[in-house]
Amino acid sequence: MPITLTEVAAERVQRFLKGRGKGEGLRLGVRSTGCSGKAYVLEFVDQANPEDLVFESQGVRVFVDPKSLVYLDGTELDYGKEGLNEGFRFNNPNVKGQCGCGESFSV
Amino acid sequence: MALLQISEPGRSDVPHERRLAAGIDLGTTNSLIATVRSGIAETLPDAAGNHLLPSVVRYFPDRPPVVGIEAIEAAVVDPLNTIASVKRLMGRGIADIQRIGNRLPYEFDEGDTGVPRIRTSGGVRTPVEVSADILRVLKDRAEAALGGLLTGVVITVPAYFDDAQRQATKDAARLAGLKVFRLLNEPTAAAVAYGLDRKTESVFVVYDLGGGTFDVSVLRLTQGVFEVMATAGDSALGGDDMDATIARWLLEGRAGSVDPGPGEVRGLLRVARQARERLTLEEAVEIRLEGTGVTRTLTRHELNTLIDPLIERTLGPCRRVLRDAGLVLPQIAEVVVVGGATRMPRVREKVAEFFGRPPLTDIDPDRVVAIGAALQADVLAGNKPDAEMLLLDVIPLSLGIEMMGGLVERLIPRNSTIPVAKAQEFTTFKDGQVAMAIHVVQGERELASDCRSLARFELRGIPPLPAGAGRVRVTFQVDADGLLSVSARELTTGIESQVVVKPSYGLTDDEIERMLRESLEFAHEDVAARTLREQQVAADRLLQAVAAALVADLDLLVPGERETIEHAMGALTQARAQTDPEAIRKAIAVLDRVTQGFAARRMDAGVRRAVAGRHVEEFEP
Amino acid sequence: MSVKLPDDYFALFNLQPVFDVNLTDLATRYRALQRDVHPDRFANCSDAERRHAVQRAAEVNDAFQTLKDPLRRARYLLALKGIETDDETDTVMDPEFLMRQMDLREELEQVRTQQGRDRANALDHLRRDLVSQFDDKMNTFRNAFIDDLARARVVVRELQFLRKFLDEIGCALEDT
Repeated sequence: MPITLTEVAAERVQRFLKGRGKGEGLRLGVRSTGCSGKAYVLEFVDQANPEDLVFESQGVRVFVDPKSLVYLDGTELDYGKEGLNEGFRFNNPNVKGQCGCGESFSV
Repeated sequence: MALLQISEPGRSDVPHERRLAAGIDLGTTNSLIATVRSGIAETLPDAAGNHLLPSVVRYFPDRPPVVGIEAIEAAVVDPLNTIASVKRLMGRGIADIQRIGNRLPYEFDEGDTGVPRIRTSGGVRTPVEVSADILRVLKDRAEAALGGLLTGVVITVPAYFDDAQRQATKDAARLAGLKVFRLLNEPTAAAVAYGLDRKTESVFVVYDLGGGTFDVSVLRLTQGVFEVMATAGDSALGGDDMDATIARWLLEGRAGSVDPGPGEVRGLLRVARQARERLTLEEAVEIRLEGTGVTRTLTRHELNTLIDPLIERTLGPCRRVLRDAGLVLPQIAEVVVVGGATRMPRVREKVAEFFGRPPLTDIDPDRVVAIGAALQADVLAGNKPDAEMLLLDVIPLSLGIEMMGGLVERLIPRNSTIPVAKAQEFTTFKDGQVAMAIHVVQGERELASDCRSLARFELRGIPPLPAGAGRVRVTFQVDADGLLSVSARELTTGIESQVVVKPSYGLTDDEIERMLRESLEFAHEDVAARTLREQQVAADRLLQAVAAALVADLDLLVPGERETIEHAMGALTQARAQTDPEAIRKAIAVLDRVTQGFAARRMDAGVRRAVAGRHVEEFEP
Repeated sequence: MSVKLPDDYFALFNLQPVFDVNLTDLATRYRALQRDVHPDRFANCSDAERRHAVQRAAEVNDAFQTLKDPLRRARYLLALKGIETDDETDTVMDPEFLMRQMDLREELEQVRTQQGRDRANALDHLRRDLVSQFDDKMNTFRNAFIDDLARARVVVRELQFLRKFLDEIGCALEDT
């Protein structure tokens, strides 16, 4: 299953890339850390790695390394507000539990 | 779940350790806070969507103060307890305030240190405390928006601010529980916001006409380094003065000439400001004076006639900075305008005419300073490790000491790049003299009484020696924020003298401690928990820094030092896991002390590496 | 027992202690060094590191200011050779030079009494004259520093006179 962006998320990413003045696209990934095991990686990409898998959604190029894809398969990246705070949200069908702060999760 | 931001490549932060930083423009009329999210700097709005926080605080006898629009609305009905434009009072003495006092409707108490205290129904308040109340609102706004505690902030000050005014700003931040990474000059922040740091070598002018202060600065950019070449201005000139001029014009046209009360003055100033703002787009406005039934029409042409003398007053400093920087007009690459008053077409016109080119106006002149400060805060927080940007500032006014006969001996001339240090030797003039007093002043005049008094330093603990034999070497140091510190050593014996500071217009450390305690008692949230969280953030920051230093420079440790440092780190880690903020604070102080020698060696090693690095470059073709 | 930076400002910038310095090159070295020591680099570090950064950055600034200005550089070069130039009690100077200074001083006093454009023009004329004298003397120093240090010392003292005089003209120009 591919990785997708919602329209709102894609619009934001485009804007941020434009504001930054450079960048090939967006990296989504997963790292081991945090209180319940895994944490998301969300970065700009200036140079792709040879092993990266590349998806395109809503006009944004999304780079994912093969190891992370296992945990991210089918994820939809959304953008939204919670009170005054705004940012990106991973709608990840693989997640079974997450820690209180929500920044790390387990699968 | 948590909302995430996009990081720079390879910089996805470890959860719970993301460094949240913000830039604050603590303005005379309005204040703003901005932050960098996903690579873009933007100002943060309140829940109602307002980015500008009016710098107005209203005090009550029985509840916490309110800040912003709600307070402005009360300014007319409750003028004595509603404090506006407090930035004008920062670092000022009672005498300064009496000079500008006829526009200020407040009641003052004189404290024992010459710091003005405003009597309000919520108690006596110093300007530092009022500013801290504004900063607290901005801090809460940012922490709500970012979903975490701020690790540090960059606060902007007018380039023209003297030591006392800078110190007062830093004290206000401390009272509000903010760690200040750096006080940044407003023009430098504006240049950074425009991305002028990405340009090639060139020279810029920043013309900043805010609510209460005017500054003009010449900045030079060379290979990513910003230098403030010269700065001048008038710390009591701005949009407020235009409003006052318009208000006087309105009063002249009013029937009967009864002196207006404080509330009425406020009302007049408010309609004056509204009229001035509307005349940016409209050619004429009708002004209705409340309670009199009188209506007057102000055209843009009339407005221009009224304010031209004020705009004219800004051009003198413009000429002076060019001369100080040794520049002629064609050498200026860009002119940036900052401050709400530069929205006025007349101001832009005059600026374009003087500098011979239209100014840059793309970024909202109210927000541009906060945005630049946020970009710098992001760099200082360590979120952009390969940022090349280095901002070098200068001291705006000469520092000197009062000599016999009241003359000033200049120690550090204005426009010296900071940090800067200067040592001076003094000899005792009496047998067995064990103390010495030094009066430090700031300004360009010959007589100490014509300069601003900064502080009186008393050197104590000089060993008793015959007259003339006691030689004390006093080092005056100005840090990157433009703040002075003094240390002293007797040369014959090598004994360090104790330096006791009596700031002329500032608060002593004891007073700030007391205010901190009082403000905590008054706060409505769970203070203990907050203090604890703040100390934990500070502890984490230090533990991370020291751990990284140990990994990077293990070879620089002297025997036994590693054990001492690790022991202190262990103690701090243990204290951090408990719930006593005071214990954490003490453990931080201990770790800080035992790493001093190591820190010095690391820095010197860094410099030697840098020197060595250039050595290699030199022989490359 | 902290390790010190190079005490010698020339060594700090990895330059030879000679009078002729390429100012562009010096500025480049200065900025590179400042990038390494400036307290902004240590915003996130311990207070101890921040305090040291302030001291180091101040030293680097002083070194740069000293080497950038030809007169300060000249004095510093002499100081490195153990020759002090700010001894106020030592007033032995070339009588001819002193006479000329007195004449110039009289001229300045006269110019000060003039008004408006005349005054500005006269001051500017005087300033140009002084600047060219200063440049000539700087050249004299360059040569003397190679083989006649006693002479170099006298020239530096004369240069200090000229510098002070130039400052006074600058002040008078500002009042115009």
